[in-house]
Amino acid sequence: MQRNERLSTDLRKPIVEMRHVKKAFGYIQALEDMNFSAYSGEVTAIVGDNGSGKSTLIKILTGCLKPDAGEIWIKGSCFSSLTVKQSMNAGVTAVYQDLALDNCKDCAGNIFLGRELMKRGIFLDHARMRRKTEELLEKLHILIPDITQPVERMSGGQRQALAIARAVYAGGDILVFDEPTSAMGVRETARIMELFLDLKEKGKTIILISHNLFQVFDISDRICVIHNGRFVDSFLTKDSSPQKLNKLIAKKEEELGNEKMD
Amino acid sequence: MKKRILTVLAAVSCVAALLAGCGGKEEEPKKDTAKEEETSGEEEAKGASADMIAQVEEQMNQALGELPETGKGERIGILISSTSNEFWGTMKTRYEEAAEELGIEVEVFEASAEDDTQGQLDALNTMIPMGFDAIILSPIDGTNLIPGIVAANEEGIPVINLGPGVDMEALADANGHLDGKITVNFEEQGSTVANDMISRMKDGGKVAILAGLEGAGQSVGRTNGAAKVFEETEGVELVATQACDWDAERAFEATKEIMTVHPDLKGIFACNDNMALAAVRALKEMEIEGVMVYGVDYTSDAKAAIEEGTLMGSMTYSSTVYTKAAEEMAMLMIQGKTFEEPVYLPLTLVNQDNIADFADWR
Amino acid sequence: MKKWISNHSQQIFLFAAMLAVCVALAMRSEYFLTWRNIRNILEAVSYRLILALGMTFVIASGVMDLSAGSIVSLCGVIMAVALHAGIPVPAAVALGILAGMGLGAANGLLIHYTGVNFFILTLASSGMLRGISLMITDGKPITKFGQEFIYLGIGRIGEIQLSVLFAGFFAMVSVPLMFHMRWGNYVLSLGGNKEALIKTGIRAGFYRVTVHALLGGAAAAAAVIITARLNSAEPNAGMNMELDAITAAVMGGTSIKGGKASVAGTVLAVLLLGVIRNGLTLMSVPSDYQQWMTGFLLLISVLISEIKVHKFRALIK
Repeated sequence: MQRNERLSTDLRKPIVEMRHVKKAFGYIQALEDMNFSAYSGEVTAIVGDNGSGKSTLIKILTGCLKPDAGEIWIKGSCFSSLTVKQSMNAGVTAVYQDLALDNCKDCAGNIFLGRELMKRGIFLDHARMRRKTEELLEKLHILIPDITQPVERMSGGQRQALAIARAVYAGGDILVFDEPTSAMGVRETARIMELFLDLKEKGKTIILISHNLFQVFDISDRICVIHNGRFVDSFLTKDSSPQKLNKLIAKKEEELGNEKMD
Repeated sequence: MKKRILTVLAAVSCVAALLAGCGGKEEEPKKDTAKEEETSGEEEAKGASADMIAQVEEQMNQALGELPETGKGERIGILISSTSNEFWGTMKTRYEEAAEELGIEVEVFEASAEDDTQGQLDALNTMIPMGFDAIILSPIDGTNLIPGIVAANEEGIPVINLGPGVDMEALADANGHLDGKITVNFEEQGSTVANDMISRMKDGGKVAILAGLEGAGQSVGRTNGAAKVFEETEGVELVATQACDWDAERAFEATKEIMTVHPDLKGIFACNDNMALAAVRALKEMEIEGVMVYGVDYTSDAKAAIEEGTLMGSMTYSSTVYTKAAEEMAMLMIQGKTFEEPVYLPLTLVNQDNIADFADWR
Repeated sequence: MKKWISNHSQQIFLFAAMLAVCVALAMRSEYFLTWRNIRNILEAVSYRLILALGMTFVIASGVMDLSAGSIVSLCGVIMAVALHAGIPVPAAVALGILAGMGLGAANGLLIHYTGVNFFILTLASSGMLRGISLMITDGKPITKFGQEFIYLGIGRIGEIQLSVLFAGFFAMVSVPLMFHMRWGNYVLSLGGNKEALIKTGIRAGFYRVTVHALLGGAAAAAAVIITARLNSAEPNAGMNMELDAITAAVMGGTSIKGGKASVAGTVLAVLLLGVIRNGLTLMSVPSDYQQWMTGFLLLISVLISEIKVHKFRALIK
C-alpha cells in the first residue's frame, strides 16, 4: 500500500479509490498502474502535465472509459469497470472538459437532460423545467441573461457555469470537475470557487483538475500528483507550497528523462 | 425588421421566378419551329419525303376508318413522358402543329424526367379536373398512370393511349379501361431492324441487343421482336441482351464489355438512338470498325451519324402523322365513334442506303 | 415576438412564399382553387410528407439516410410478394411495415456500432436494397393485388383520401414526439451532441436505432400508398425519393448538422413544393422550371437560416 506511506496520519478510508488502473489507446499507454484516492468531504486536486492522464482517469471514474485492468472503489463497492449509469448511481457527477452540453438546447434542456421533469407521465414539462432552471441559476449566482436561447449562443464562461450548475443540480455527493473555469473571467471564477467551498461545507467530495496552481492551493485539501500515467505523490495541501510542487514535477520530469536515456 | 423585409423580398423574387417561368413557356414552340426551318432546306429531297409522308398518312387514314368532322374547338389534354428527351420534345411540337391544322385546342403536360413515374401520375391527376374533352397519354411505364386513368374513366373523359402501352390486366384489375390505343408495333420495330441487319451479314455471326428500362413496353417489344428474328436465322447468334435503362452511359459501358468478351461481334441493336450513339462512341474509343449499330427514334443526332456512316440505321415513323392521327382519333371519339382494336402506325427504317430520301422527314 | 420571428424565419419565408405562389396561381388558372385540384395536391404530397417527416427525425439526430427510397421499393416488393402468396392484406401490410422498420433499424445499428460515416453506409445499403428488389422482381413490376389493397392507396373517407389522413395524423403526432417527449428530446440531443447524451448515461445506440426504424416504417407506409395506388410494386419505385425528403426537411429548417428540427417547416416545405409542382403542371410549364424552382427555394431558405446565425455571432462579438 504505497499510497499510504506518507499519509500514515490519515487513517480514514477513501470514498473514491483507484488501484493499479491501466488504460491504453492503441499503442499509447495513457494510464500505467494508476493509484488515486479521494476522501469524503475534501477537495482533492489532481495535478499533472498535459498528457499525464488526468482526463483519462476522470473518464474511467465516471464510466465513460473502460479500464484495461485495475479496480475502482467507490463508497466501499469494488468495480473492475463501470458504466456511466453505475457511476452516476454511486453518486459521481462530472463536469467534463468538453462540458458535454447539447449546444442546440437551452439551459433547461441541458440541466434536465437525462433527468427530465414530466407531466402526465409521458410529456416533458417544459414550463416547470424552465422555472427550476431560473431558481437554480439564481441560487448559484450564475448570470445568464436569456436562459431560453440555445447554448451555442452563450459565451464560454456561461457554458462552463451552466455545466457546473447541472452537476450541482444532479445532486451527486462526489463531484468531479475537469478544468471547470478555464474560459471564465476573474469574477466568475471567484464565484465558482466560493460555490465549491460551499459545496464542501455541505459535505460533498470534490475532485478538481486544474492547471491553475494558485487555484489548487486556494481551495484544495489534498493534492495528488500524476505524471505520464503514473501516480507520483499525494500530500495534504497545507504541507506543501506551489514552489515545492513545481520542484517535484520538475524532478519527475528529469527522472523520466534519465530513464528514457537508459 | 431587416429579417422581415428579407423574407418578403425572397417571397417576391420567388413569384417573379414563377411568372418568368410562364413567359418562357410561350417562347418555347417558336424556338422549335425556327430550328426546323433551318433543317428543312434541300428542295430536291423534300419531294421524296413529302411523298412518303403523304403515303403514310393515307395508310393511317385507312386504319382510322373515317376522318372526323372539322374541329369545333375541342379541348384535348395531352400527357407525354418528358421533353428532356428530344423525341418527346418533337412530339410536343407536332401535337401543337397538328392541333392548329385540325382547328382544335391542345395542352401538353409532362413529367419532370423520363423516370419520374409518380410525377407523371400527379400531372394526369391535375389534368382531370381541367375539363378536357379527351386525354391522350403516353405512360412512362405500364402501370404508373393507372389510378389517373381510372379517375378519368369516372369523370367520363375518353382516354387514348399513344405509344408505350398501359398494362391492360393491371388496369382492368383497378376497374379502369382505355377508350382507344394508337401505337407503333414495337416488335415490328425490332424485327425490321433485325432483318435489315441480317441482310447485311452474308456469313452470319454474333449480334447483341442493348435494351432499355427493364419492363418498359417499348424495350420489351423491340427486344423480343429482334431476338425472335435473330434466333430464327441460322448462323446468327444473339450473344448478349443487356438492359441499359435508356441510359447512354450504361450503354457505353455495356458495349465495351460486350466487345471485350466478343471481339468478333457483327451487329448491335440498341432500343433507342441515345444508346445506339453511345455504342458508336464506345466502338470508336476501342478503335473497332465494321460493327453495324442500329437504333430507334431517328433523332437529329442519329440522322447525322447515319449520314456520317457511323450508325447503320434507325427506325422511324412520321411524328406528324402519328400526332395528327391521335388527335383525329380523339375527335372521332368525341363525335361518337368507338375503337375496339388498337390502331397501328406504319413504320419506316432509315439506313445508310436510303437516308438521302429523308431530308425533310417529319 | 421579435425573437419568435427570428427563430422561425425559414418557416415564415416558406409560408409567405406559399401564399404568394397560391395567389399567383389563383390569378393565372381558374382550376387552381377548385376543391378537386386542392385534393389532388394533397394526395400527391401525402406519401412525400410521410417520408419527409421520417427523414426530419433522422436529420435531427445528426445523420441522413440515403437508403430511404430503396426501402420504399423493397417494402413494396415484399408486400407484393406476400399478397401474391395469398397472405391477407392486413398481415401483408404489417409485414411490409415491420420489414421497413427492420431495414431502418439495421441502418441505425450499422451507423452506431461501426462508426463508419453514415453517408457511405446508407449509400451502400441503398444500393444493396434496390438490388434485392431488382433481384426479387427480375426488374419487372409485380401487379394486381385486388380491391382491398388498392383501397389503401385511393380509398377515401368522405372527401379525404386515407393517405392524406395518415400523413396529417403523422404530422400531428410528430410535434409532441419530437418536442414534448423524452424520445424526441434524446433524438435531438443525438444530433446536437452525442457525447452529451452518452456522458449523461443515456443509451445513444437505442435512439440511433429507433429513429432509423421510424424512418424505415415511414418509408414502408409510403410504399403501401404508392404500391396500392399503382396496383403495382415496381423495383424502380422511390428512386431519389430520399433526396426529395432531405430537401423538404432542410428547406423547412431542420439543421443538416442535427440538433434542431421543425416539423411545421417540413410540412410547409412539402406543401410548397407540391403546390409549385401542381401549378407548373396546370400551366403546362416545361418541367425544367420545376427543378430549377426546387433548387432556388432550397437555396433561399438555407441562406435565410445562415444569415440568422451570422447575425447572432456578430452580436456576441
